[in-house]
Amino acid sequence: MEGIRLLLVDDEEEFVRALAERLRLRDLEGRTALDGRQALEFVAGEAPDVMILDLNMPGIDGMEVLRRVRRDYPAVRVIIHTGHGNDLDEAEAWRLGVFDYLKKPVDIDYLVERIRAASGSD
Amino acid sequence: MKMYSGTIRKAPEGSKLRDLYYSRQKRLFLLVVALALVVPLAGISLFSYNYYKSSWIESTSAELSSLAESRSQIIELFLADQEDALAGIVELYGVDYLSDQASLSQVFTAVNQSGVITDMSVVGVDGRHLAYAGPFTEELSGRNYADADWFQSVMADGTHVSDIFTGFRGTPHIVVAVADPERTWALRATVNSDFFNSLLTSADVGPGGDAYIISWTGELQTPSRLGAADAPFTFDAATPGAAEVLHDERFIYAATPLKGGDWMLVLKTDIDDSLGGLYRARNQVIGFIVLAVALGLVAATMIISPMVNRLREADRRRMELNDRMREAEKMALVGRLAASVAHEINNPLQIIENQAGWIGDLLDDESEGKVSDVTEYRDASDKIRAHVRRAREITHGLLGFSSVGEGLASTDINNLVSESASFLENEAKNSRIAFKWDLGEGLPPVETDRARLQQVFLNIINNAIDAIGRDGAISISTRPADGSGVLAEFADSGPGMPEEVRASVFEPFFSTKEGGNAGLGLSISYDIVRRLGGDIRVSSAPGGGSVFTVTLPSDAGKSKNNTREER
Repeated sequence: MEGIRLLLVDDEEEFVRALAERLRLRDLEGRTALDGRQALEFVAGEAPDVMILDLNMPGIDGMEVLRRVRRDYPAVRVIIHTGHGNDLDEAEAWRLGVFDYLKKPVDIDYLVERIRAASGSD
Repeated sequence: MKMYSGTIRKAPEGSKLRDLYYSRQKRLFLLVVALALVVPLAGISLFSYNYYKSSWIESTSAELSSLAESRSQIIELFLADQEDALAGIVELYGVDYLSDQASLSQVFTAVNQSGVITDMSVVGVDGRHLAYAGPFTEELSGRNYADADWFQSVMADGTHVSDIFTGFRGTPHIVVAVADPERTWALRATVNSDFFNSLLTSADVGPGGDAYIISWTGELQTPSRLGAADAPFTFDAATPGAAEVLHDERFIYAATPLKGGDWMLVLKTDIDDSLGGLYRARNQVIGFIVLAVALGLVAATMIISPMVNRLREADRRRMELNDRMREAEKMALVGRLAASVAHEINNPLQIIENQAGWIGDLLDDESEGKVSDVTEYRDASDKIRAHVRRAREITHGLLGFSSVGEGLASTDINNLVSESASFLENEAKNSRIAFKWDLGEGLPPVETDRARLQQVFLNIINNAIDAIGRDGAISISTRPADGSGVLAEFADSGPGMPEEVRASVFEPFFSTKEGGNAGLGLSISYDIVRRLGGDIRVSSAPGGGSVFTVTLPSDAGKSKNNTREER
């Protein structure tokens, strides 16, 4: 393990678990959160190095999570990973200071590459 | 293969029907003008014509009537004169003197200086000639008049004027006779019929008219030019001295009784003769009406044609605009639909990709031989992921329909076009395609979404390269657009496109390219340009090939087309 603390936030449970599993195969240990509230609790407990964040979630949506994380934990690198984002969301995300903005579906190897880049270990 | 997409507009249907409508409107207008000219003119003319005609007939009737009256007076006077002359002779000379042939000849010569009387004779009470002066001595010598109508009549009444008759001499004549008061003898004179006739022929009844005297037995007393005693008069109605007038379609008749009702003087005039002037005036008026209508129609045509043309042009523009608006709305709707579908598909695509990827990952951990056909499984997993990537191309392409108009900036169109082309320079060079430049100078900067516009230019140039295939040129020019704004034109030297392709080239999912092309490029370009308040059109280049023209308003950022769609 590389020791990158990774948080995966996505309301598709199946997807997020499988993604975590696959990332582990690539030496990236990730925790998962299924909605915005969980994600924020997680961050409050232990701030991750990199956060993969979906935008479209029930409750507190990804953009709000991003806003709060950027405000309260500016050290956390956030990579948006969404199927719904439009240009405006993308522009807003960039304005809030995301590390990258990826549109689903994303190839796993590219995602890994971006995570490593975000953690600075690449 | 080439790829084009999207339609701007289809030819409006029923344009023939509309042409028909316009020409019908035009004909209707001309008809109204013609009627407006013809009806009042013809009405006035017809009224005037009838009015003048009846007053003509009235005045001609009055003239004819007074003519008939004056003629009848002249004739009555003439006959009375003859009677008076004979009566004077009878009274003056007595039978003894007049029975002498030489004396009678002397008297005859004296009274007949005017030549009104042809001959004169003295007849005894037994009807035998006592003396005769005149040219018919041979024919009349030894004749006995005892049974002649005139003789019996004069012996009964003292005076007599006969109808015209042939008698013994064999030529038509009128006899005037006066008996002495004792009825023992009579003086008889024959009136020169030529002189008598001249009393009528001098009456002016026109070239088609007639004047004659007819007896109550229906015999003509004077020659009739038309040879017909057709006057529609009866003898009993007439008052002596006063004319009766009537007319039919062709003639005006005036009649006066003569000789105590034994004769009737008839004057007849042809209406057409006296109305000749009126008919000429009528023909001139008809000519004038025809001319006025013709001039009116010419003037109306000169007015209506440009009017109808302008109307037609305005209608055509309006319909074209409507079509374009509908098309733009349709495109926007399709775009929104496409973008939302793409959004919904992206999540499941990600899961498919992930699961397939996981299978691949798991296979990596399996030791060779433990799972048979590992390679096949891995191939299948890779293929799934490859096709997910292909699907992603489409869905991410569709997302291009989403918001436009972020990041508006003052943009130099020449700069943007050059930059876009430079991205594709290598690709063009590999296909031996040259760029030909004709960039306008001093073009105003355009307030627009630079990145989006670049996407449009890249797409058009890419299509042009694909359309040419190999060896050719793409001419890129910029210039000021009509009104404000600028225009960029991309003409390729490719084969061009058939009309049905041209019509569909901006439609989403329309593609002539084989393989995994989604057919969204031009559709998205269309959407972007429209939302930037501009316009994109495609036409055929004169020498083959296609020309894409992008027009942009100078203030695209403020255009209402640019308002963001919420998604």
